[in-house]
Amino acid sequence: MAEEIILQTRNLRREFGALVAVADVSIQVQANTLHSIIGPNGAGKTTFFNLLSGNLKPTSGQVLFKGRDITNLPLHRTAHLGIGRSFQITNIFPNLTVLENVRLSCQALGKDNFRLFSSHRRFRQYEERAREVIDQVGLTKEALLLARTLPHGGQRKLELGMLLAPDPEVLLLDEPTAGMAAEQVPELLELIQQVQELGNKTVMLVEHNMNVVMSVSDFITVMHQGQVLAEGAPSEIAANEVVQSAYLGELYGELEAMAGNE
Amino acid sequence: MQTSISTSAQRNGLAAFLKRNGSLIAIVLIMIALPFVVALLDGRPFSDVLANETGNAKFVQGLMIEIFILAIYAISYDLILGITGLLSFGHAMFFAVGAYGTGIMLKNLEWGILPTLGGIFVLGVLQALLFAVVLPRVKGITFALVTLGLASVFQIVVQSNEVGEYTGADVGLQGVIPPDFLNTSTERFHLYLIGLALTVVIYLVYRRFVDSPTGRVCVAIRENEDRALMLGYNTFYFKLAALIVSSITAALAGTLHTLHQPIVSPNVASLSYTVLALLIILIGGMGTLSGAMIGAAVFRLLEYFLDKQFSENASFILGLIYVLLVMFVPYGIVGTWQVKRLQIQQGRARLYEALGLRKKPN
Repeated sequence: MAEEIILQTRNLRREFGALVAVADVSIQVQANTLHSIIGPNGAGKTTFFNLLSGNLKPTSGQVLFKGRDITNLPLHRTAHLGIGRSFQITNIFPNLTVLENVRLSCQALGKDNFRLFSSHRRFRQYEERAREVIDQVGLTKEALLLARTLPHGGQRKLELGMLLAPDPEVLLLDEPTAGMAAEQVPELLELIQQVQELGNKTVMLVEHNMNVVMSVSDFITVMHQGQVLAEGAPSEIAANEVVQSAYLGELYGELEAMAGNE
Repeated sequence: MQTSISTSAQRNGLAAFLKRNGSLIAIVLIMIALPFVVALLDGRPFSDVLANETGNAKFVQGLMIEIFILAIYAISYDLILGITGLLSFGHAMFFAVGAYGTGIMLKNLEWGILPTLGGIFVLGVLQALLFAVVLPRVKGITFALVTLGLASVFQIVVQSNEVGEYTGADVGLQGVIPPDFLNTSTERFHLYLIGLALTVVIYLVYRRFVDSPTGRVCVAIRENEDRALMLGYNTFYFKLAALIVSSITAALAGTLHTLHQPIVSPNVASLSYTVLALLIILIGGMGTLSGAMIGAAVFRLLEYFLDKQFSENASFILGLIYVLLVMFVPYGIVGTWQVKRLQIQQGRARLYEALGLRKKPN
């Protein structure tokens, strides 16, 4: 595995009034790895993600992509660099078909956006790519349905499809399995892992499901109260007592108390 | 619906075009025949229509030209509101700039019709750029209010006495003499055909625009602008493109208005004229394009017949009809029809399935 750092942050900080959501976080993401960010609710994971993808501007600090400062880049430029992001809350075009959602995602990075008076059907390459991705995420049968008529799990798959369509180098996935039926989760994660390994991509994942994170990740950053609590390979994190007490403290405490009572 | 993508192989050529647009062609043919049919019903010879004789046939053509003007104006509003999702309350200005501009160029500047059309084109682009100045800074209802402000300033300016020499101030712009072949009083059938052709061409161009890569992004912006940004679209340029196309079209409708009406009232620059466009596309179906056409016809004909029947009570009844339409036909005439058609198709598919008559797997 190449020891290349594709994405890094330097003292990234974001305040909302008096609340410091992300407090001087510096991390490094190795290329071609699956890097997860975990932490209890309110740890600042999503805010951190929004800073990475450019949806929020930091109060101070920098985001570097391949050594280039992208902190103040306009939102629409991020995708052109090869950074794609999905959202915790499903974020699609509800009244367009599944195919059109993905097709628009393909078209975005092409050069035909300002062909005002020629039919979009002339530009077949986008539709072909869209169909390929739709097959990949398993929505072939639903391709011509309106996106809002899909069940939640289907919409999550669509979200992933829109992310994969332009073939980005870095994928930022904010809880891709949020709200999905438990039996669908492994399927989706397998897909993500497959995409990462086969496509030589870097995936950053925010995830709540601990089992999932431990099994798929190459590297884990644990956040707590806006700061990095621990970093390391899954086995190191699992063994880290500080993490256990911070992240799982209450739960473990309860379990131990229950065990003690019996 | 507009959103669907045809999966069948693309057919090209004139025959295919005619086949796909059967109803449009039928409507055009009916419209061409209409003045002659009216003459026939009146017991007058067809040559009356060509000779521009006064009568019902000429009157009906006048009414239809008003519908064409409203249809072009409304479809231009549908492009920014129904397709791109930009709520502008200043659309009347787009129309009024065309109407006043045409009048001033023809009358005061004594330009011919072609330079005038060129001038209108330039004005159309300029006013869209004016709106675009505020476009990236304000969104949603704030954009609506800023555009309302811009249009109000324009209305105050055209009504002011300082420019009365050009605009006719409160009275309105009068005494514009259109070129002979476009003169509504002496060559109405010409103007009628030109209006019809312009309406159809604009409709087809708009349909193509909505179907183009640019237009698809405009629809995406309406659906979810943040997502469009995240995908890598600089949404500002797409909204600007829609604004420019819309502005030029509305100004052209204004040109037709000036050619047809003996007087351009400052009322065409008022908020109520923007609301008129909104009403028409609500009646017809927002974001459907053809809805603007049908809405314009329904609106103008309703207004005409109610005026005739109830005179001063007409606007009350018209208002009542709007309320009922919004309550019972919430997606407009075309929008509701499209929804029903889809439901019927799906219902039929289920029926076939239940009966074991699999038509074709989809």
